[in-house]
Amino acid sequence: MMTDEIILEVKNLSTYFHTEQGQVKAVDHVSFVLRDGETLGIVGESGSGKTVLNLSILRLLPSSVTVHAGGQILYRGRDMMSLNESELQQIRGNKISMIFQDPMTSLNPYMKVCDQLMETLILHQGLDKKTAKEKSVELIKHVGIPDPKIRAEQYPHQFSGGMRQRVMIAMALSCKPDILIADEPTTALDVTIQAQILDLIRELTREMKTSVILITHDLGVVAGICDTVAVMYAGRIVEYGTVDEIFSNPRHPYTQGLIQSVPRLDGSSDHELFSIPGSPPSLVNLPAGCHFQPRCSKAMPICAEKYPPEIVNGNHRCCCWLWHRGEDRG
Amino acid sequence: MSSDNLEALPKGMSLFQKALSRFFKNKMAVASLFVVIFYGIVALLAPWLPIHGFEEQVLDHQNLPPSLTKNGGELLVERLRFELEDRAGRENRSLTQQENEQLEKFEAQIRSDPKHARRYLLGTDYLGRDMLSRVIYGGQISMVLGLIGALTSILIGLIVGGISGYFGGRIDSFLMRFVDILYSLPYMLLVIIFMAVFGKNIFNLVFALAGVSWLTEARLVRGMVLSLKNSEFIQAARVIGASTPRILVRHLFPNVMNVVIVFTTLRIPSFILMEAFLSFLGLGVSAPMASWGSLVEDAVGSMTIYPWRLIFPALAMVIFLFCMNFLGEGLREAYDPHSEKIL
Repeated sequence: MMTDEIILEVKNLSTYFHTEQGQVKAVDHVSFVLRDGETLGIVGESGSGKTVLNLSILRLLPSSVTVHAGGQILYRGRDMMSLNESELQQIRGNKISMIFQDPMTSLNPYMKVCDQLMETLILHQGLDKKTAKEKSVELIKHVGIPDPKIRAEQYPHQFSGGMRQRVMIAMALSCKPDILIADEPTTALDVTIQAQILDLIRELTREMKTSVILITHDLGVVAGICDTVAVMYAGRIVEYGTVDEIFSNPRHPYTQGLIQSVPRLDGSSDHELFSIPGSPPSLVNLPAGCHFQPRCSKAMPICAEKYPPEIVNGNHRCCCWLWHRGEDRG
Repeated sequence: MSSDNLEALPKGMSLFQKALSRFFKNKMAVASLFVVIFYGIVALLAPWLPIHGFEEQVLDHQNLPPSLTKNGGELLVERLRFELEDRAGRENRSLTQQENEQLEKFEAQIRSDPKHARRYLLGTDYLGRDMLSRVIYGGQISMVLGLIGALTSILIGLIVGGISGYFGGRIDSFLMRFVDILYSLPYMLLVIIFMAVFGKNIFNLVFALAGVSWLTEARLVRGMVLSLKNSEFIQAARVIGASTPRILVRHLFPNVMNVVIVFTTLRIPSFILMEAFLSFLGLGVSAPMASWGSLVEDAVGSMTIYPWRLIFPALAMVIFLFCMNFLGEGLREAYDPHSEKIL
């Protein structure tokens, strides 16, 4: 399943926006690797830069609002940053594709479902209309929608939310991409449908050996289907490691807080649910030093002065002064 | 879907088809549609209809009243008899021998000339031209002007608004400031100056009208494109690797079209009205051509004596405008059943 071949490498990626209030560091020096067949979960609160990170990977952010985009995104060794628009179009949808959060608005209301599926196939696989149509009916069937022939001729408004998300998955996977970016694919769905959709994503990506970047704020989902996890806070990855490592041995106080705030079935019912005090900082006005330090129960004087350098421990990386030895803290 | 057949899946139905089916449930709108179609057919078939030419003058038949039963000659005889009897009545006498002879002579003279057999259902104007024909041909010009004007301004608005909304940034502010400047100028004055400089003809008229009226369309389209371009399905289209022209043509325009169609329908009457206004000022269509506006203008001076010359073109225009507005309103409601009068 998961091999050692690195398929996507993000090095020091930064994306800043310019706004009326000042510069917003939506993504700040983010680095991670994605291996062939790996499922990477990116977790973090709303506004921690998860979505911007993924839009940056696909280079989908309009250049007019981005004031600074630095770093490297190496897809199979090619730097996405240096590609021009038409080269990017060759990759988008074909090699790297994406599923959005809200299936209700991510399909074009004026196009038949099969036409939307056919668009990808015609664009990237050079199929003629007839074969593309047959293929799209097959895809609809493949994602578990009954009566695919009739369904293909329908319009998005005749589909339920879960079905639309299935169509989005079919669309995203129609060209057997190397990487699937799923941006909170289940947030807008019914709880009963969420599990089905996640199963579908897992099954299909396994079948096609597609690597997945799953953005979510649901730790349960992460524990269920991810191999590795990156925890984001205020635009930076604060902790990165395998699922087992992160859940059994969380090192960053933020990750610890997140895990503690998940309600547990086996916990006592009169126990009050843990929550991290305070709220995420505004990305315009980040606190000095470690961005989490104002909310951190273990904050030290150094935390407010300098951003902690990354401490690497095998596959487990963490940015926290707690794990640095005294002399490093200087 | 019938209730005993819940298992059957409904056929694929686009939003457009849905809108149409809603539209056809709106009785007023459908009735208006039929009236508009009738106007259109009459205007199209005008050259083949059994009516007189709109520029044919019969100077003897000036200002004849509308009549379903009598031809032009009979109306002239009647008019002469009325004049003679009126004079006699005022002098308290019956018609003299001489006057009766005059009448008979006139009648014989009229019978001998075939041109007096012409009939005028809606009367004639001051040059003896058939009002029915002039109203029909005038309608032809008014409708074509309205249609071409609305289409041209929508086209300009679509291009400018589309570019402005989609590309945003500096292009957007430049184009929108330009629109703001044009907005702040009195548009009728611009049209009048344009017509004065480039001469009075139909093309210049349409061009001038379209040139000043695409502003609202541009703003409308820009607003729609702005909200659509950030919608997820446009982003999804970019994610699958569609190029910008493809996104514009396949994804963006179909979504803007519904509003554009509705707006065009509502725009046609305003163009007809603007043209009527300009014709009324003497800047519109020039003789022997006619439009509803110019017919009204011709008739206003003598409306107390020959009211039919005013009533018929005005009525034709009012009915048409009324129906166009109902039609546009019906379309708007069909496309967007939840909204209340947003345009």
